[in-house]
Amino acid sequence: MYLYNPIDQRIVDDRVKQFKGQVERRLLGSLPEEEFKPLRLQNGLYLQRHAYMLRIAIPYGLFNSQQMNMFAHIADKYDRGYGHFTTRQNIQFNWLKLEESPEILADLASVQMHAIQTSGNCVRNITSDPFAGVAADEIVDPRPVCELLRQWSTLHPEFAFLPRKFKIAVSASKEDRAIVAAHDLGVFLRHNSQGKLVADILVGGGMGRTPIIGTVIQKDLPWQELPNYISAVLRVYNLHGRRDNIYKARIKILFKALGAEEFTRQVNEEYQYWQGGDQTFTQSEWDRVAQYFSKPKYKQLPSISKNELVQLANEEDKKSFTRWLERNTKEHQISGYSSVLLSLKPHGTVAPGDIDSSQMRKIADLANQFSFGLIRSTHEQNLVLADVEQSRLLELWQEAKSLGLALPNIGLLTDIIACPGGDFCSLANAKSIPIANDIQKRFDDLDYLFDIGDITLNISGCINSCGHHHVGNIGILGVDKDGQEWYQVTLGGEQGLNAAIGKVIGPSFYASDMPDVISDLIDVYIQLREPDESFIDAYRRSGVEPFKTRVYANIAKKEEASSVEVNAHA
Amino acid sequence: MLNIIRYPLDGELQLIEDDWQLIAKDSTHLPLNGRCLVPFSYWAENINHHDLQKKALSGELGVWFSSDDDLPLHKETILFGLKVWTVVAVDFPIFRDGRGFSMAAILRDRYGWNGQLRAIGDVLIDQLLQMSKVGFDEFVLRQDQSVAVALDQFQIYSHRLQNDWRSNRAQLGGVKS
Repeated sequence: MYLYNPIDQRIVDDRVKQFKGQVERRLLGSLPEEEFKPLRLQNGLYLQRHAYMLRIAIPYGLFNSQQMNMFAHIADKYDRGYGHFTTRQNIQFNWLKLEESPEILADLASVQMHAIQTSGNCVRNITSDPFAGVAADEIVDPRPVCELLRQWSTLHPEFAFLPRKFKIAVSASKEDRAIVAAHDLGVFLRHNSQGKLVADILVGGGMGRTPIIGTVIQKDLPWQELPNYISAVLRVYNLHGRRDNIYKARIKILFKALGAEEFTRQVNEEYQYWQGGDQTFTQSEWDRVAQYFSKPKYKQLPSISKNELVQLANEEDKKSFTRWLERNTKEHQISGYSSVLLSLKPHGTVAPGDIDSSQMRKIADLANQFSFGLIRSTHEQNLVLADVEQSRLLELWQEAKSLGLALPNIGLLTDIIACPGGDFCSLANAKSIPIANDIQKRFDDLDYLFDIGDITLNISGCINSCGHHHVGNIGILGVDKDGQEWYQVTLGGEQGLNAAIGKVIGPSFYASDMPDVISDLIDVYIQLREPDESFIDAYRRSGVEPFKTRVYANIAKKEEASSVEVNAHA
Repeated sequence: MLNIIRYPLDGELQLIEDDWQLIAKDSTHLPLNGRCLVPFSYWAENINHHDLQKKALSGELGVWFSSDDDLPLHKETILFGLKVWTVVAVDFPIFRDGRGFSMAAILRDRYGWNGQLRAIGDVLIDQLLQMSKVGFDEFVLRQDQSVAVALDQFQIYSHRLQNDWRSNRAQLGGVKS
């Protein structure tokens, strides 16, 4: 993992001092809220329904046990004993005081962390593949490029007041696990035919009110040119993006308005002034950063099959352990190792992505014992111990189980991705967490979940789409109608290389109907699926009609029944 | 009154007096005497006007850009103007409108402007640092801003992580090439 040198450290220390001064002026009243707001947002501090929320940056989702222990410290000292992992691989705390925020940032700086650019109309924390460096299907390790881009974008003076936020994701494996096409700017890294590291650049993807899959506007860009090319994109956007309407201010709207050809022409014209200039990444920068991502000291170990591993478990544990191996472990590049997912999605008890401080401390211990002290956060809001010896998987499973983090539901229906929603967020139209919990309770049967198989279910409490509902196989969006909370359902969304935006199936539903609606959708799938056909494939083959027909027929029946009941009481 | 901050590329941070009269966008009248900062649109429309040329040649003319002036579109006019203008300014209609940052960078890096570049409009304490990095060296603070607090902003950071008008990224030694 990248470690700060004195320059990086000084920058975050100076940032703490700067923000402390800004908070002091705010509290004294010389800095009005309207002018303070963009400053605090650029430092990850939101004003929510009940308190201030701080979003801490986890660059490309990679952090260490010491930093995890600091999260636990923050949760206990300044918050209510827990934290929430977000859909952009960051962590946020929901119950903070403005007065204490400089102190929290100073604590974070002491473990090489900060909250810089986790919000605001600037280049946000860069996300990537949570299995970077270990995935069996990796083409190249994306982390040196991610880190170079993190440094380049941190406190960039020209792009601190863009028309709107700007999100970058980087992927470099056969599968895309970073939803690259749903970002303002996406980077796919690969080697060209000469073996040189190059990037393909997508622009104009995004979720929110206008969900769009990004378009490739540049191919074969040498990695050294990334800051130049991204600067050209950002400068075109900064100068010409709309500032009159917050809902039309993202780069995707400019891209659509100009058209791919004209947008690309403008970017290329701008780029010619940057190309080969002094912003270009150098080999010495690469070498300095890349050394932190060299392979850890792996042992030479024989590969152990899942069948062999299961034999190590007690008779009564065999079924559970098999399930966990199937869902919660991933193939590793190195023989004898696996990556392990800790599920932050217990059924119906906490918000997806939440963990408390005691779990944080124990995960930090597990990282130290089992995985070189490193942890990764995923955009699905789970955690990864990436480098676990297969011979120790049983031991780790038992530890995870005692922490309530071993539910084998990764990639299954109850592995719900959800924003904090109306319980916390002041932007939300509707709650997300109770909907997620009700669905988890309804489907609290592992046999059935395994039978349903691979599926993604995403919930957003408003059109800002923090729960990424547009790319969920089943997407749920909270909407406000006449002051009431309603839920709109989309089907057919997908992340990955076949990324697709889901389509709305029809009028929205009451919160209390949602578990039934999901049950209907799953029932239809079970009935019409062919052998080994996943939910998304069955949906693609059969179209929306059978799903839609069943759901609305049952809703109509329920309404009829309740009106009969009302009449009977009248 | 010393109320303009000057922070030259190779000099001391100081306060100076404002001896430039700002001519509003819709103004059609150009005062005959004194230094005038006129809108770029006024310059473009009256470029052949004798009084304007005379003012420019006597060093009493500056031009300010509004945030929706399209610099590349007027490149030739600007490149000529930069030979005769004494000062150039960029207006921030509201502090969070970031177009002025890119405009300053273009004027400096691409059009080669080496004279004074002044930030005007909604210029607040907490944007000074960014402004100074993209190319501004004079700052007309909004009236309610504390000059004392403003002067402290420029030295908050010891390092930078990207190249800017004043210095190169610290990770490569910070030397301007």
